[in-house]
Amino acid sequence: MPGILEYQSGDTFLHRAHPLVKLLLAAVICVGGFLTQSLWVNLALLALSIVGGFALGMGRKVKASLKGAGSLCLFLFVVQLPFVRMGRTLLPLPFGLRITDLGLRYCAQLGMRLLGATLPLVLMLGVTRLSDLTNTLVAQLGIPYRYAFVITTAIRFIPVLFVEMRDVIEAQTARGVELDGSFKQKIRLIPPLCVPLLVSCVQRMENNALAAELRGFYLRKRGSGYRRYPLSAADAPALAACALILIIAIIT
Amino acid sequence: MEPIILLEDVSFSYEGASGRALDGVRLSITPGEFVGVIGPAGAGKTTLAHALSGVTPHVRRGDFYGAARVAGLDTVSSSVAELSKTVGCVFQDIESQFVTTMVEDEILFALENFSVPRDEIPSRVDRALNDLDIADLRLRSISTLSGGQKQKVALAAALALAPSVLVLDEATGELDPASSVQVFELLTQLQRERGATIIVIEQKIMLLCAYAERLLVMDQGRVVIDGSVRRALEQPDRLLALGVNCPRVTTLAARLREKGLYHGAPPVSLDEAEAMVREALA
Repeated sequence: MPGILEYQSGDTFLHRAHPLVKLLLAAVICVGGFLTQSLWVNLALLALSIVGGFALGMGRKVKASLKGAGSLCLFLFVVQLPFVRMGRTLLPLPFGLRITDLGLRYCAQLGMRLLGATLPLVLMLGVTRLSDLTNTLVAQLGIPYRYAFVITTAIRFIPVLFVEMRDVIEAQTARGVELDGSFKQKIRLIPPLCVPLLVSCVQRMENNALAAELRGFYLRKRGSGYRRYPLSAADAPALAACALILIIAIIT
Repeated sequence: MEPIILLEDVSFSYEGASGRALDGVRLSITPGEFVGVIGPAGAGKTTLAHALSGVTPHVRRGDFYGAARVAGLDTVSSSVAELSKTVGCVFQDIESQFVTTMVEDEILFALENFSVPRDEIPSRVDRALNDLDIADLRLRSISTLSGGQKQKVALAAALALAPSVLVLDEATGELDPASSVQVFELLTQLQRERGATIIVIEQKIMLLCAYAERLLVMDQGRVVIDGSVRRALEQPDRLLALGVNCPRVTTLAARLREKGLYHGAPPVSLDEAEAMVREALA
């Protein structure tokens, strides 16, 4: 099963859509969430991503993203909520802190904006091959291949880092390192976990760069890509959706 | 015939290292040879592979002495990119070889970089996938593959380019015995049909015996035995002293010879081993 940021094979209309259109759609949903002042529009955009994700057969990715980004959003919600002083006080707290109606609204909207920005990007990467993304960035946006490759390689390395981290944890656990314990103990565990992770990642990136160089990376030209990416009529609904989301986000 | 690989007194020591990883290596390989390289850990096998592909001294830096030429290119004055047009490599650390996320993209990567004509690309990709029996993996994400499948993908990516020189550094380490044989069969086919020069660094000595025409045994950065497989196998005690395990039939042949029961050359195949046993029993 591919990881959360990896491409998932499929034959949906979004899988077949032009890579730049998919990138644009994801970007518009993200930006739209920050442009709108309406909580309902944020909710609608979030719902659109969740429903869209399930419709694309990526329920697992949606759940994992909601779980991962949701925890962060919840943390930010709890941390920020008592410090918003505007609005009607709903619950007074010690040290002059309070929970207000506007505080609830702002913090909830912030959480939804973060979730709304995460999900479309995860789904876009789920329906777009990184090589297609690289090729279109090069061929259609004119970004030099080296930079486009670096961008997509950085995305590719995120799941790789998680796998490396898991391997390091397993190796250290097998050596008797106890990962459960007090906060102080966990702080002490940072060096035995992070140092091998850092070393293995640097080594891996170096070997990866070498592998690319050995396979003609520096010989690549702008027109070297094999696949062609023409815009087609099938991309029209997605482009229309982009325009519609942007208009709604601006006027609300 | 003009050698395709010529190493003249090549020595190399890595930056900060006290010893030499390669120490006065002299080597001449003619086009179309199938050469096996074996030796204990730290013998300099990987450094030799790096020297052939230009990784040493361009990427893995250090002090390089002597002269190395591959397909007429001086590996010191030519860039890795220039050399990569001729030399295909598959290294030990398979996980680090992949530069894309999908099997098909991995094979396309080098073909695109080398600007292979568009109409040739589909057939090259198909052939590479079919040759290694991995056509069904074409649209799979590399992260979902087993170690053996990943090795096959890395090999397919190298084979798709049809390089004149192919260097494999323990590239069958994670393959099961049947798949290892399949890879060696494929290499032989590549050598026969396209005249490719194959250099295989391998610990599975039986495979080298069965497929390689020439064996290099390395120790402490030097090539200590260089000759036909049979000639190398005639020195089982020396091989053992170097940390290289001889095939059991070869050890048996040596023992039978000691006892005067066998007088022929060490067997390198099952048929020859059978003939040896018959002679000993006669």
